[in-house]
Amino acid sequence: MVVMALMRTVEQLAEGDTAEFPVASASELDLVRRWCAKTGNTVVSTMMVEQDAGYVTVGRGRPRNPATMIPADRMPGARLWLYTNFHCNLACDYCCVASSPRADPRLLGIETIEALVAEAAAWGVRELYLTGGEPFLLPDIDAIVRSCVDRLPTTLLTNGMLFRGQGLRKLQAMPRAGFALQISVDSPTAEVHDSHRGVGSWKRALAGIRVALDEGFTVRVAATISAHDDPALDELHALFDGLGIPRADQVIRPIALQGVADEGFAFSRESLIPEVTVTADGIYWHPVAALDEDALVSRQILPLAPSLDRVSDLFAEQWSSMTAASTLFACA
Amino acid sequence: MSQLIGAPLLVGAVAYTPNVVPIWEGIRDYFDEPDTAMDFVLFSNYGRLVDALRAGMIDIAWNTNLAYARTVLQTDGHVRALAMRDTDAAFSTVFVAAAGSGWSGPGDIGARRLALGSADSAHAAILPLHYLRAAGVNVDHMQLKRFDSDIGKHGDTGRSELDAIDAVLAGDADVAAIGITVWENIGRGELMPGMLEQVWQTETYSHCMFTALDTLPEAVSAPWVAKLLAMDWEVPAHRRILELEGLTQWVEPHLDGYAGLFEAIAEQGVDSRW
Repeated sequence: MVVMALMRTVEQLAEGDTAEFPVASASELDLVRRWCAKTGNTVVSTMMVEQDAGYVTVGRGRPRNPATMIPADRMPGARLWLYTNFHCNLACDYCCVASSPRADPRLLGIETIEALVAEAAAWGVRELYLTGGEPFLLPDIDAIVRSCVDRLPTTLLTNGMLFRGQGLRKLQAMPRAGFALQISVDSPTAEVHDSHRGVGSWKRALAGIRVALDEGFTVRVAATISAHDDPALDELHALFDGLGIPRADQVIRPIALQGVADEGFAFSRESLIPEVTVTADGIYWHPVAALDEDALVSRQILPLAPSLDRVSDLFAEQWSSMTAASTLFACA
Repeated sequence: MSQLIGAPLLVGAVAYTPNVVPIWEGIRDYFDEPDTAMDFVLFSNYGRLVDALRAGMIDIAWNTNLAYARTVLQTDGHVRALAMRDTDAAFSTVFVAAAGSGWSGPGDIGARRLALGSADSAHAAILPLHYLRAAGVNVDHMQLKRFDSDIGKHGDTGRSELDAIDAVLAGDADVAAIGITVWENIGRGELMPGMLEQVWQTETYSHCMFTALDTLPEAVSAPWVAKLLAMDWEVPAHRRILELEGLTQWVEPHLDGYAGLFEAIAEQGVDSRW
């Protein structure tokens, strides 16, 4: 009689909603699967409490194919994020990983990075993102970048404030092809930016962008916007336009309620489309949640492929059972 | 008519499940182009929907077969049928009994207790009696058990047909009259193994129909109908809507398939209003 229960209940559910049904045997579970296949509905999960008896959760409608809704370069596994370190010359009041000059550096190290990148390329990762902390605090950041770019297109996130002396020489030693710098600028004038990131930081970031552009690098800019500030988006875009940075390379995103942030966009693992992220502490669902235990995928960094597989599987399961849209959170 | 210069075409439908909202939002998005832009209004029952079409509050009604027939009768035929689902062009009623009954054909049904769906369901109440009568069964002497649930929605919810099946399974009725879509959705009985079997199936007839008054200009309706007929099962965004609405393709009207319903309305004294 499970099919009569399905007919009465599932047909009246809103698309994406689910209902649970008891099943008394393997053949009854098979009937549920066949009914779902026939009527355009979805077996979301099964929980067998005895050998052949338990509960099956059925969702109204078919899971939408994520490939029709998510760009190929944003599908899980397309991007790999590497937190090279966690210490920073700044202590931004919204930092999602609580970086500061006093933060434990927690270095990944070039050998680990090389092993991760080799495995990522073999698995099918398309792009690398290096972030921190401030990666330019690492004495071997130029070598790290070269080893990454040798394998995959790479973007390095930086505050752009250390392109002087040794930092400038490291910058100059980095490849131009297959590589981009992403520099943070939060507002069109110094006031808002400096209120979150420290006095003088806006001016030095702008100077850093000009240095990088003069050195022939592709530069992207990223603004993190607080709900309490006037975003002044027109002026911000005008500033970036004036620097010659294409609109496609101007990333605007809200603060994420993570790390030291006391405001911002709240999310759960289930609400985020994953971008696999490696830190010295483990592998995480998304770079914006790299301190979040709920977003921890594995403590084991190497080998990487099992974690990439696991995130893909978890996402497929999450997608098929979702009742609300997953969200792309743009870190880059 | 509601059509104002530059205003989108307004389509009315009945909200019989929560999915009517995503279905019509999807359809509205699909039509969002200058020549075909549309919006929709949902009604709680087909009586109000037909009233709104006649009053010019909406341009097109997504009617059941009974609502289409009532629109024809209430307007003395001043209507235009625009398009229907492929599944509407070959609808039928199936009579089912408990497995092992051994019954076959209308003659075996005439002597049994027959469970019918909602009185305003053409496929589960009105047409079953019409086709039995046409096959020579004296339906006036049959023992009928009616399940008049969700009156006003013309059987769209399917609940009354499930009630009729349950009556057969419980032994409270011998035969149930259900729409072909319910029979298909239980795998023609294969998904309820050993429980039900088909006794008889009526000839095919037409079911739902996009209906306009004949005052709707062809220049307005034609681009909309052309766009509707162009929805493609192979396009994932289209398929989602088509699957929720229960079709694989929109088709031109099959008006011949309403002859039996007009006869049934006359025979049974079904009110052309409400």
